[in-house]
Amino acid sequence: MGYKVLVVDDEAPVRDLFNDLLVKEKCIVRCVSSGESALNAIDKEDFDVVLLDIKLSGMSGLEALKKIKELKTDLIVIMITGFGYDEDLIAKSREYGCSGYIGKNMPISQIISSFKLFAKTAKEKSKEI
Amino acid sequence: MSPFTQESEKLLFRLIDKANVLFLYFDVDGNVSICNKKVETIAAKNREDILGKNWLNVLYRDSNAAIKQQMFKAVIDDSIKYRRTNTFEGVISDKDNNERFIFWSITPMLTETEGLEGILLVGDDITELKESEASSKKIDEILRSIFSNIKEYALYVVNLDGNITYYGMGSEMMFGWQKNEIVFKHVSLLCTADDAKNKLPFILEQVKRYGQYETEIELIRKDGQSFPVILTVNQFLDAESNLTGYIFMAKDITESKKLEYQIFQTEKLAAIGQLAAGMAHEINNPLFVISGRIEMLLAETRLARKVKEGLDIVKAQADRIRKLVDQLLEFSRKAPPKLETININETIEGVLPLLSYHKFTSATVNIEKDLAGDLSPIKGDLNQLQEVFVNLMLNAYQSMPEGGRLSIKTRNFQNLYAQIMISDTGHGISQQDLKNLFMPFFSTKKNGTGLGLSICYNIIKNHNGSIEVESQVNKGTTFIIRLPFA
Repeated sequence: MGYKVLVVDDEAPVRDLFNDLLVKEKCIVRCVSSGESALNAIDKEDFDVVLLDIKLSGMSGLEALKKIKELKTDLIVIMITGFGYDEDLIAKSREYGCSGYIGKNMPISQIISSFKLFAKTAKEKSKEI
Repeated sequence: MSPFTQESEKLLFRLIDKANVLFLYFDVDGNVSICNKKVETIAAKNREDILGKNWLNVLYRDSNAAIKQQMFKAVIDDSIKYRRTNTFEGVISDKDNNERFIFWSITPMLTETEGLEGILLVGDDITELKESEASSKKIDEILRSIFSNIKEYALYVVNLDGNITYYGMGSEMMFGWQKNEIVFKHVSLLCTADDAKNKLPFILEQVKRYGQYETEIELIRKDGQSFPVILTVNQFLDAESNLTGYIFMAKDITESKKLEYQIFQTEKLAAIGQLAAGMAHEINNPLFVISGRIEMLLAETRLARKVKEGLDIVKAQADRIRKLVDQLLEFSRKAPPKLETININETIEGVLPLLSYHKFTSATVNIEKDLAGDLSPIKGDLNQLQEVFVNLMLNAYQSMPEGGRLSIKTRNFQNLYAQIMISDTGHGISQQDLKNLFMPFFSTKKNGTGLGLSICYNIIKNHNGSIEVESQVNKGTTFIIRLPFA
């Protein structure tokens, strides 16, 4: 797959799991624990995909999404949530320009395949433009 | 010789003249020889015009009064004939032509040889008394009408022995007993045996002491069904303020109780929903890590068999938790239904084949459909509503392990709602369990999570509909759903 991915989650075990899962998928992974550090990293480095938890301490996930998109419009952001299916949050995230939505309640295999699908679709789309 | 002195004779005449009664004496020919002031006043004549005249002409100026005269004369003739004192209630007109009710006492005056000398009439003006009697009669009528016609309340009166003496129409409607079936029966017939023994005597004692008592209580209908009321009991007093019984007034509060319970239920469920959402999120994070790590480990190729078996078990249990959390999240789902125009009958037809995939019982369950032809479409979320119907039908199946009948009925309810009734002939639900039926985690099934019905409840609520359940143990259960037409 080979994407360069930024994982943003305020819980270390979750970050570590994403790291290991994605490395296994041959991605280059960088992990941060807050929206603030995510913006910092994005400003300094180029990423293909950002995996962003919707519930963060400090700056909220939605706020971080908005700022990331302001900073780098084309960057692919996929939201992660533990809240399950929430219409309000999905609508808001879409409005702010996220490319997909992954629930932590999904089976792992489905999370990985969803991630691949969202990332691939978004990348092709941006190439077309 | 007169028994009076001259002085006392004079006084006697003065007393008679001033007395507040009509005093009239006439001889055997009917000519008046003595009258007092009051007769002058009422007849509106001077004494000169009265004395020597026939008494009938004195008292009845109006020639239309012939019947009244005849009646009075008949009583007087009786007194003359049988030499006895009579009384008579008659009407005469006063000087302003107002009717006056007079209570007459008629005394034949006899000579020493028992010959008739004349007739003494003493009349008491009872007009005011009559009027107040008439007005109290009117009040009586009003009260009677109130008692008989009020339908929202049951009004009944019992005597001091507790026997019902009055029983209005409202009571007939509320209790189902007809008046003739219950009058003179004991009032304890209308309450539970326990209340009749303990609460009723207490209530009556309180009313005796303090005049009134109000309480919430269960009363009993003729068919044995109990229902909640607010019962107000008052003293029933006679004209002399003696306690002669008790007035019972009962207001049926079944509906308001139901509403109160529903509001309570809704609030409780909302609170639980919030809690569930918060919990689910907190559980999802560590669960995600657990599941993810297990899967990564299981993907390793060189695992000892025992380790792999252990991991498989852990994975299965983690999956179980995940499913539970998913249901919790669904229960607290904030998402409003995705509304589309839905034909309820078609939705039900679409759901029925799904049932055949679930083989819960080898016994035969007959499915009876009775779908209304005049059902307008509703606005709803197809997936969510299907989920509700499947859930209820599976519950019905599971309640009939020995087989039975599942009946699905749709109706147009008051042109406002599509009503769906799903009934089974299964083991039923106890009154106690019915109260908690829609509560999350409440289950009567051995392996139930207790989330199915609470999810159904939430879905129907989100559709602005209602879901109710009626059940009788060992007879069956009916779920009644109402969804507003589009």
